[in-house]
Amino acid sequence: MTTKTSLLKVILLGDGGVGKSSIMNRYVTNKFDAHLFHTIGVEFLNKDLEVDGHQVTLQIWDTAGQERFRSLRTPFYRGSDCCLLTFSVDDNQSFLNLGNWKKEFIYYADVKEPEKFPFVVLGNKLDVTERQVSAEEAQQWCQENGDYPYYETSAKDATNVAIAFEEAVRRVLAMDERTDHLIPTDTVKLHRKPRSATTCCS
Amino acid sequence: MAEETVQKVVFEHEGVFIHSSSDEDGIEQDLLVSGSLRIVDKDGEIFVEYRPLEDTVDPSNMLCAGKDSSSVMEWAQCPGDRSHQLLETQQSYETEWDMVNAVSFKRRPCTNGEGSLNHSHERSRWAFTFSVSDLRSITVKEEGWSFLLFKLKDSSSPSSPSSPLPALHFHQGGSREFLDSLRRFALLSEAPDDETCLLVSTPNKALSQSFENLLDDNNFGLVHQKFRKDPYVTTLGSFSKVTNYIFDAFRGTEEQHQRPPEEVADLLGEVIPGLEINQQEEPGFEVITRIDLGARPQVTRREPLSAEDWTKHQDPEGRMIKIRHLKQVIFKGGLCHAVRKEAWKFLLGYFPWDSTLEERKALQRNKTDEYFRMKLQWKSVSEEQERRNSRLRDYRSLIEKDVNRTDRTNRFYEGIDNPGLVLLHDILMTYCMYDFDLGYVQGMSDLLSPILYVMENEVDAFWCFVSFMDQMHQNFEEQMQGMKTQLIQLSTLLRLLDLAFWNYLESQDSGYLYFCFRWLLIRFKRELSFQDVLRLWEVMWTGLPCQNFHLLVCCAILDSEKQKIMEENYGFNEILKHINELSMKLDIEEILQKAEGISLQIRSCKDLPESVSNILGFHTEVSGSDPTDPGSRPAPRPAQRQDACSNGHGHLRETGSHNSCKVAFIS
Ligand SMILES: Nc1nc2c(ncn2[C@@H]2O[C@H](COP(=O)(O)OP(=O)(O)OP(=O)(O)O)[C@@H](O)[C@H]2O)c(=O)[nH]1
Ligand SMILES: [Mg+2]
Repeated sequence: MTTKTSLLKVILLGDGGVGKSSIMNRYVTNKFDAHLFHTIGVEFLNKDLEVDGHQVTLQIWDTAGQERFRSLRTPFYRGSDCCLLTFSVDDNQSFLNLGNWKKEFIYYADVKEPEKFPFVVLGNKLDVTERQVSAEEAQQWCQENGDYPYYETSAKDATNVAIAFEEAVRRVLAMDERTDHLIPTDTVKLHRKPRSATTCCS
Repeated sequence: MAEETVQKVVFEHEGVFIHSSSDEDGIEQDLLVSGSLRIVDKDGEIFVEYRPLEDTVDPSNMLCAGKDSSSVMEWAQCPGDRSHQLLETQQSYETEWDMVNAVSFKRRPCTNGEGSLNHSHERSRWAFTFSVSDLRSITVKEEGWSFLLFKLKDSSSPSSPSSPLPALHFHQGGSREFLDSLRRFALLSEAPDDETCLLVSTPNKALSQSFENLLDDNNFGLVHQKFRKDPYVTTLGSFSKVTNYIFDAFRGTEEQHQRPPEEVADLLGEVIPGLEINQQEEPGFEVITRIDLGARPQVTRREPLSAEDWTKHQDPEGRMIKIRHLKQVIFKGGLCHAVRKEAWKFLLGYFPWDSTLEERKALQRNKTDEYFRMKLQWKSVSEEQERRNSRLRDYRSLIEKDVNRTDRTNRFYEGIDNPGLVLLHDILMTYCMYDFDLGYVQGMSDLLSPILYVMENEVDAFWCFVSFMDQMHQNFEEQMQGMKTQLIQLSTLLRLLDLAFWNYLESQDSGYLYFCFRWLLIRFKRELSFQDVLRLWEVMWTGLPCQNFHLLVCCAILDSEKQKIMEENYGFNEILKHINELSMKLDIEEILQKAEGISLQIRSCKDLPESVSNILGFHTEVSGSDPTDPGSRPAPRPAQRQDACSNGHGHLRETGSHNSCKVAFIS
């Protein structure tokens, strides 16, 4: 057997300004840049990691949160293995919009079984003192919407960022294991999509 | 209510002007002094104070800080001398009146008169103050706007008792509010012989106290009445209708009824109709065999235009002359920074090229008025109103978020208390009033930031931004028609220039050039260093050497990257990533050189496809491409509207289906 590297595509969704780009940058480069620009268009970064003995390349997609740019970000939803629904704990509106983001994702990613799709919810800016959304409220929403894992993160001081991504990977792998049982196939998942980023194999 | 030690600002209104031409000395004919008028309670004695904001409206001198005008930042935290005048205004409890605040900069540090409004200070020579008890009468006149003349009792001597106080012109409204506030401390009664004249009598202190209580309610009623009558309220009324506008946020308006096919590319093709450009069979296609373009000429760039050369292009009255030559020089080398502040106003169409200095001053005066009128509109929206106006609220929230994330490493916008941020915010908010349908869309702060940086002046920056937005408007509209059009045009150009490369991109599902989205949306603002953005933009604004030159800039950059992309066999994702990562690594002079070369190369081609000539405007320019530029106000959104798929049609879906605007190349 050779080592297998899976390429997993995760996408960060949420209102403008909740900290999607900051979370991505914190995770991939371990830096927080307070002077970051707001996102225009679509960007992605790759990150290699190992979870429970699985080699994984995460391809993290980050888009602009403003409504106007919807038609230019939604095409990139397709093929996502996991969606990180992000809000900011100091912005209640961004929390209220989670449901809309979920809907938008399911619609455009054309998810076959939405009930089973692995969403992870992130309440970012944990370091901020003036909270508008309590942990309980957020927990409750996650429970009611499909028992999603919930993490309170801070891109600024790095709290829970890596843990959240690792959990996302676990969820995806767990999903795959299930489907693998149903449809026994070649488990090497390199280049799952014809033209996704090349990741090196063994 | 008030602390014993502090003075309480009872009323404040900015945008109150003195016309110094009405001043007898006649030396400074054109001076228009803008300032703020206040009623201040100093230990129970009521004073009227006028302070000029800047020396003149001549905006070339820019200042250190104005004051808080928004929720973006707390001026109270300002260090040093700035905070001085800011703090006072925050004690104003009549926040509804605390409306238009011109935030501006002074290059030299403010000489603060310790709040005493000392007349000896040169810059405050227009400042004055008097006690209400010294006031004899106020004459109220109308001249399209209201202005007030104060007459003091003979015995009192505010400064120079012999000379009368200058008339105050309320170009941004507020005279009635001022009088109403004054009524709380004095009785104003019409003179029997002159209804424009209000006689002032001040009751004794005890009485005035009870008056204040009495009039509080009364005044409140008046306020509402006034608001209804004021012209700007009418404007606000009309936009409150749009509050019902439902942002149907997440229901697809693109009507993707049939499920889109597997590939992202196909989805994008659907979103960007008309991009299936390689379907040659489609009727209406102009089928063209491969065109031999010939060699690309080498061109050289030149030095930036100096301040000296700029003045050489001005006649004694200040009209710009030899404009064709001037634009050519700017195209070839750009401008040295000292010239930008003035030259950009012409390049953007804010100043007509053939205007005299005199005319421009008058224009600026009018535009100052107009600007502050619009600024007043959003400034005067109460919290209550805003609660019921979701669009305004959304615009404000987006602007606040983006202002904090725009060019924050630039010294003009860095730090927390930087007045540059307030200006960015205020101008963008005012632009929402200027064009409420569009409002604020992400990307606009990027377009404004360099302009404000160069102008260092709120009003000029606003109007230059308006001109720039006229060109860029379609990029930001709901359907982003401008973006779609440009992507198609770029694709057409690229196929002409480098069919092999385009075919490669197409084979990687990237033929619609989605990865150029950010380049086009904000004209390379994020791709180049700040200084290079200034250079590129001024070059583009000359309109030379052809229409849509920025698309050739795209082609030039792609030309430099194609080898890498093809050799490394990049796929869809890698191409996107590679292009995104070019940001800040590009050399502007090299790119401009190449882009100009490309333009010459295309121009020298004899049988150019119709579509290409249309995109680059080779047809329209026969009539002389307005070398002397009539200098009229820029037509709203000229460039792209005409360019839309090279024939001015609004919708590409339509266009594509019934005319021959699309081109297919067969190699
Ligand atoms: N205090 C604090 N601030 C944060 C945190 N994460 C992000 N921010 C700040 O919040 C603002 C928005 O962050 P971004 O990462 O640009 O937000 P975004 O979700 O990518 O926004 P769009 O690109 O507009 O969709 C920035 O000013 C960040 O510095 C955090 O964990 N704590
Ligand atoms: Mg972002």
